[in-house]
Amino acid sequence: MNDPLQLEDAPVAGSETPRLRFLLDDSGFDEVPKKYRRFYRKWRGAGDVLAPNEVICPVCKVVIRSTRELRVGDRVYCMPCMSRLVVMRAEDGTLEARVAY
Amino acid sequence: MSDFLSAYSIQNWLESCPQGYLDGTEFGHLPGEGEPELLLENDILREDAIATTVQMVVGERCALAASSGLINAAPDEGSRRYLATQTLDEARHVEIFTHRLYDLGVRKDQLEDVIRRYANPNLVRFAEVLLEKVDRKDFVSGVVGQNVVLEGMAFSVFEMMHALSSELNPKFGRTLAGTIADERRHVGFGENRIGSLLKQYPEKKPEIERMQKEMSYWMLATFADSFRHNQTQAEMERLGQERPHSDYQGVDLGVLSPEQMEDVLADTVLKEFKTRLGRIGVEYQTPARP
Repeated sequence: MNDPLQLEDAPVAGSETPRLRFLLDDSGFDEVPKKYRRFYRKWRGAGDVLAPNEVICPVCKVVIRSTRELRVGDRVYCMPCMSRLVVMRAEDGTLEARVAY
Repeated sequence: MSDFLSAYSIQNWLESCPQGYLDGTEFGHLPGEGEPELLLENDILREDAIATTVQMVVGERCALAASSGLINAAPDEGSRRYLATQTLDEARHVEIFTHRLYDLGVRKDQLEDVIRRYANPNLVRFAEVLLEKVDRKDFVSGVVGQNVVLEGMAFSVFEMMHALSSELNPKFGRTLAGTIADERRHVGFGENRIGSLLKQYPEKKPEIERMQKEMSYWMLATFADSFRHNQTQAEMERLGQERPHSDYQGVDLGVLSPEQMEDVLADTVLKEFKTRLGRIGVEYQTPARP
């Protein structure tokens, strides 16, 4: 698996429109093996904003990045803490990740 | 389950940790990096730094005893191998924080006396609650105590210390950054492994809730002592040294009093406990405030 986004499942809600694509740069995150580093970055605190291809891991607070726009129902993987997550819609309308045990 | 545990392999640990963010480091920092002159030349600042570092050594010695003690209590091979990597992480933490004591001027023959003198008795009680579960080979309670409560606390404490120190003390900041990276794996294992195990052993929940309440009380008592007796801020002001305006949980640490910092840290850790325990199906118990 190269991308934290795992797309092998059935189509999820909203998947009828094409997903936005993103080029990922190396943000300097060095807590995973080199080939996976561009898929993660540190949360920069107040003032930081998540892009449509990003979601915060609720377990270790790292930002997980995909080459594709994330949508509700997507399963993503957080390599720094090795948590498997599902993308959900939060009460405030933003996307959030919940742990799948 | 096998997929989840296979991610915590020795190979992954090697590639992420020793061959990753620790590559090129020496005792957790870059070769040649030292403690700031200001810290080494000022007795008040140096003593506060020693006292703080002693609490880190005490906490990490507890984590080392707990993670190594839980290896033979683990119900499966994957958890045993993961705990072997955590044991080495914790041993490294003990070593790097002990080495910081030497860098701060503690002689090797003074080490145990210095630790006895500065170790906070409330932190020792915190550790004893956890190690009692480990001694009884209670894997579920032990992992919650170690990987959710102790590591959850350490994660937030180290993040605050990193925000406070990385600008004025890059050596210590780098040491903390590597430790925080380790803690991510530790809290991840705690939540992921226990989240599934508690479904198998729901009868363990009341005992775990009692343990969390007790550990949380001793943790808050430790925070209270540490912040209220810390003289660093007053000494920095006396010296005319500006405090770094670093962000932690959305607040500017450069303008907070020690009591306000204690409140921010305690609230952050307790909120995290509540969230993490809620995710694995354990009801958070509010501790008494010391």
